[in-house]
Amino acid sequence: MATTKPKSFRKIWGQATPYLLILPVVIYYSIFWVRPVVAVIVGSFTDASGFFTLQNFVMVFNDESFFPALYNTAIIVIISVTIEFIGALFLALLINRKFWGSSIFLFLMLIPMALPAVATGAMWMTGLTAHGWINSLLYYLGFLAEGEKIYWLGGLQQNQLKLLALVIIIDAWQVIPSMMIILLAGLQNLTEEVKEAGYVFGGDFITVLRKITIPILQPTIQTAVILRLISAIQIWLIIVLLLGFGRLPVLVERIVYYHEEVPGLDVSYQMAAGYTIVVSVIVSLTALLYLRVSGAFKKEETV
Amino acid sequence: MKSKTNKKVIKAAKETVFYLFLTTLIAGVLLPVYFIVSLSFLSTREAYQYPLPLVPALKTDMELGYGERGYLLSVWDRIDKEYQTVLDTADLEKMEYYIKSQLGTKITEEELLFETSRLENSDEKSVFFTKPRALLNNYDTFFRVTRDAVPALIRSLQIAALTILISLSIGGLAGYAFARYVFKGKDTLRFSVLFVRMFPGVAIALPMVFILARANLYDEPLGLSLIYSVGAIGLTIWITASIFMGIPESLEEAAQVFGASKFQAFMKVTLPLALPGLAASAMYIFLGAWNETVAAIILTQFKPTFSVVVYQTLLGASGQVNLAAAGGISMALPAIFFTFFLRKYINRMWGGVKV
Repeated sequence: MATTKPKSFRKIWGQATPYLLILPVVIYYSIFWVRPVVAVIVGSFTDASGFFTLQNFVMVFNDESFFPALYNTAIIVIISVTIEFIGALFLALLINRKFWGSSIFLFLMLIPMALPAVATGAMWMTGLTAHGWINSLLYYLGFLAEGEKIYWLGGLQQNQLKLLALVIIIDAWQVIPSMMIILLAGLQNLTEEVKEAGYVFGGDFITVLRKITIPILQPTIQTAVILRLISAIQIWLIIVLLLGFGRLPVLVERIVYYHEEVPGLDVSYQMAAGYTIVVSVIVSLTALLYLRVSGAFKKEETV
Repeated sequence: MKSKTNKKVIKAAKETVFYLFLTTLIAGVLLPVYFIVSLSFLSTREAYQYPLPLVPALKTDMELGYGERGYLLSVWDRIDKEYQTVLDTADLEKMEYYIKSQLGTKITEEELLFETSRLENSDEKSVFFTKPRALLNNYDTFFRVTRDAVPALIRSLQIAALTILISLSIGGLAGYAFARYVFKGKDTLRFSVLFVRMFPGVAIALPMVFILARANLYDEPLGLSLIYSVGAIGLTIWITASIFMGIPESLEEAAQVFGASKFQAFMKVTLPLALPGLAASAMYIFLGAWNETVAAIILTQFKPTFSVVVYQTLLGASGQVNLAAAGGISMALPAIFFTFFLRKYINRMWGGVKV
């Protein structure tokens, strides 16, 4: 009896260890994440005088910018995540070939990731104005005649496709590196023998990529894409830096708009809270859908 | 023999094409960065010219003549290829200030006096002189003129350090649990890392104003680092789990065989081996905290971070593109410096991460 007591205590202690290790995270999240989130959720169901209401969501859906914001966000997410994935995979495959200078090449490709949003904002703002460096460069290269200018950010409200394209290119430029490092890490774990076997059996580069590399890389691809998907839906800062509020409405831009730009209105806080909940629901559903389709749930409890 | 040289030629040609391709790629990706760097060295006069000069000038050619109000200062325009009159004044102090601030060029009062006397004593209508550019002028001005750029820089460093401390200690513990233990709710917690990111960060920052204000942490470095850690902890769990998974558990067990406790085994064996990877995650956290702007704008008032100061130079009333460029570059430098080291640890950090 006396000998078993410390033993069982030890056993319980051993079983409790992982929970003790994750306890700080749980506490931290509940103070600094759950609390503000609950505050916003409560706010989204409350009217200005503090009573329960669903009116906030009705206002959000009736907001004339809601559907444009939804479409714009959807277009940006679908196109930019696709482009970014292809670009990141291409770069990762290239760097993984370990040619002479590949390490420096990797560093140079990572630089856009290291730049702060304000610096990238400054970069594209000074580039895309009529007097900016992009027009200057085109002029020096002979694409623009003297006095001729391209108004990149100008134009009518209808011409949103151009603005969308610009936003997608700029976003891709900044985001590809962070997606690329995740894919590169996965590729580095792949042994050469596996690929060589594919080549031995007569596969060409594309076949090996499609039948061997990508399937083995699948979990890494899931990680990279899901992280990107979640933040792509929440794009707004670069759009506001380049175009200001309202020119190209997207969902999160609307939250900031109601909170920061028109804080005086009676409904500002309600609108911002309503938009926040709508965005969170959209992000969660998209993420769950992606994880289900890509099969991430099948491997549960196997790690 | 012939086919051998042929093969060599083909190989060399292939390599040349490959490296040409890489160069194009580098040029394409880094072109915008080049222009912002170049802009940060341009004088205020040139920064607003069109077309923008492709490279910053190293010297300024000037011409001094007689004007209606006194002396006429002209400056060589690199775009129009001619001397252009920029100032007509008898006030040498004003002229000196103009040359320094607008032309970003070094000149002293004595030098200017010397040039005017040279003009007075000559029969010519004007004299020409060349002075070296003060290349770091914009950087100097940014830090001198911008209200509290230096204190903001120090605060940003404090915030980044605190964020690293909080996220690495809290996230690292959970990461270790992920790597070494099987327990109930592991998957829930693994997905919670994603879950935390699904709620827009801006939307969290807004109610945090009240929560931090109640704790007297609003407008304080610690308050901001607590917010930054929410996002950082999630990724730190994933990354540190990946790092610990890369260190064989058998090493810890071996240490325990020799009488070390589990804690000692961790401290003496696993931690030293994990240290480079953990340092790399610290740099990763640094990048996030250092570069963050939006929450910083919302959650600071009198104690802005460096990113907020740069943002205000860019968009505020004092906005001047070449100064903003200099601010942006000063901000990017430490981040780029850390990225240089980070690239070696990509596999350790992300190799074991799986959703």
